[in-house]
Amino acid sequence: MRRKRLEKELKEEHGEIPYEQTSVRELLTLMKDTTELITDLAYAAAAFENRELAEEVRHLESEMDKMMYQIRLKCMLGARSMEHAEQMTGILQVASATEKISDAAEDMVKLLDMDLDLRAILPHILSEADEKIHTIMIYPNSEMVGKSIGQLLLESNTGIRVIAVRRKNRWIFGPDADTRLLENDLMIVRGVESGYREVRAVAHGEMAWSEVIG
Amino acid sequence: MNKEDRVLLEMKNTSELMLDLAYSALIYQNKDIAKEVIELEDRVNKLHEILIRSALGCSKDEKSFDRSLIMMKISDSIERIADGALDIADVVLRDIDLHPVVRKSLDESDVVILKHRVEKGAMLHGKTLGEVKLATETGVWVIAIRRGKDWIYGPDEGTTISAGDVLYARGPDDSEKMLSPYIKGK
Repeated sequence: MRRKRLEKELKEEHGEIPYEQTSVRELLTLMKDTTELITDLAYAAAAFENRELAEEVRHLESEMDKMMYQIRLKCMLGARSMEHAEQMTGILQVASATEKISDAAEDMVKLLDMDLDLRAILPHILSEADEKIHTIMIYPNSEMVGKSIGQLLLESNTGIRVIAVRRKNRWIFGPDADTRLLENDLMIVRGVESGYREVRAVAHGEMAWSEVIG
Repeated sequence: MNKEDRVLLEMKNTSELMLDLAYSALIYQNKDIAKEVIELEDRVNKLHEILIRSALGCSKDEKSFDRSLIMMKISDSIERIADGALDIADVVLRDIDLHPVVRKSLDESDVVILKHRVEKGAMLHGKTLGEVKLATETGVWVIAIRRGKDWIYGPDEGTTISAGDVLYARGPDDSEKMLSPYIKGK
């Protein structure tokens, strides 16, 4: 679904309103996926006191509001009988739950607007979570350079999911399978500790990828 | 880590487990799992209260005041995330036929939910999740196990898997393929 989101954003930049073609099913998938990305980004934004990540969280939250509005419209237009209308309330309840979660994520990044030393507290706690958030730099001598996330099957092979990539001055949020990794990319990742150690070793050119998948 | 840190951590881990469980309950129309989400939400509420009380109690000087503020704010967001999971589980408990669109949309998500029985003679039988490093090796994260009538929610690295266990798990879209060699009998 990520590709679709990008297309949608491109269309938006050109002033089109693309929602008309998006089905309830697509909207709901997009809302669920956005919820997962936005919570990870919010924790990362707070832990690393990163304003660009926080800005993306705000952007995604406003996208969620728009999607919520669209899904409401579509459900109302689609209900043809009492039974059908009841089923629609189920869809709307799931959708508004995802919207509530993204609201909570956006609220978390408001911490960055207060004059607080987040770094002194949050990384220390979040580094103990079941699934941790880390940053990993890709060194020029790493085997990962030039490979796409899909080619590496990174998540299936290591349990590590890339939630954002910083490349020079720009960011790729929620990269998909086709996103190619380049030298000096800074990845923000989420996952279990042993997988993180493997990915970091490969990214730093200290370990061969074949050792990871072998 | 002090007590407050541990409380916040448990809240974060629980809220994430709750969301995974809520989607599992929804996909498999499973009321047992939905009820567990409700119990976990109760737990998160209690932890939230413990944290607020403790934060208010120890915010005397400016530095610990800042710390308390951060803890309360994050705790508040986590509590609302848990609430969102509760809303999803509630759909399952309301006895309304689920619109087929919901299941289809969840199947197309970047993160899929799977349910599989561990077969006799499978590689996972008799092993702990930590021993086989399942999450690292396959990207698949086990969120619940049904063993006969019993449930294990949010198993950890020390949880031993047996043949006959039904695993509820989440992972990337090729999880099915990755998990297969671990759960199929020889």
